[in-house]
Amino acid sequence: MELKIRKSGEIYIIDVSGEMDLYNSYKLKELVMKMLEKKISRFVINLENVDYIDSSGIGALIFICSTIKKLNLNLFITNIHGSVKKVIELTKLMGYFPIVPSVKDAILKFRSL
Amino acid sequence: MSETKQILVDNNHALMSKDEMFYKEFPSDYRQIRYFTLLIVQKAPPEIKEINLLEQQISEIIKNAVKHGNKKDASKLIKVWYFFSQEEARLIVEDEGSGFQKIKDWNSFNIERQKCLVEDDFEKLADYVAYHTDESDENDGGNAMFAAVEYWDEGVVFTEKANCIALGKTFPKKQHGLELNSSPS
Repeated sequence: MELKIRKSGEIYIIDVSGEMDLYNSYKLKELVMKMLEKKISRFVINLENVDYIDSSGIGALIFICSTIKKLNLNLFITNIHGSVKKVIELTKLMGYFPIVPSVKDAILKFRSL
Repeated sequence: MSETKQILVDNNHALMSKDEMFYKEFPSDYRQIRYFTLLIVQKAPPEIKEINLLEQQISEIIKNAVKHGNKKDASKLIKVWYFFSQEEARLIVEDEGSGFQKIKDWNSFNIERQKCLVEDDFEKLADYVAYHTDESDENDGGNAMFAAVEYWDEGVVFTEKANCIALGKTFPKKQHGLELNSSPS
């Protein structure tokens, strides 16, 4: 799994690529926690290039999502597809996660907040 | 509302039958869980792999056995029986641990979780997104079995000792020729 950060104004987009599994999902949690320490408040987690996720990966997303909600900050998750989407559907968390189709949609949502 | 799917306990369940199944055993090496899973999944026909969904679902069961069953003790074995066809996937995983003692508790938790989902109560759902016990650590997603009871549509069954789990899933038979239910364009 690889994590890259880019910026659009005040919005920080984390591009995740590869596999989010039991060996590496904690890295995404650690990254978001570091960004929160730096007072970043608008997040996009872009899963466009993620083609495998397991319960640890879903667990990392739940942790991040609930942490950001508790702090009253904002997060969108974008570009879920393929087996990643199927795993989220199996856990029935499609409605729980703040999912939007694309990074562009997420940016538009942030503008309307 | 459909009834909430449950984890069953039944030593004599049909899914416990090991007849004509393949067998492999592995040491409880946490680093090799995905590798062991691949060795098993390679027997499956591509039609039922659904890219890597079958692999992912199997790896969760093996991970639970290695981590929660055998506590990553490499001297303890994980025994796996498996069978794949174009219509069915079956898996039995046994560890040398003391068994998953909280099946009743998990089923009750899942019923509450299901209520939140049906009522779209996402605020309350926050308390039920993940199932954790005293033994869970921060890397446990706590959601693998919620997906498992949905994915394995023939059932998720433990033995009474609860150190052995059997699972089965059916796949729709491949249609040849005329497609039914197709609407005219």
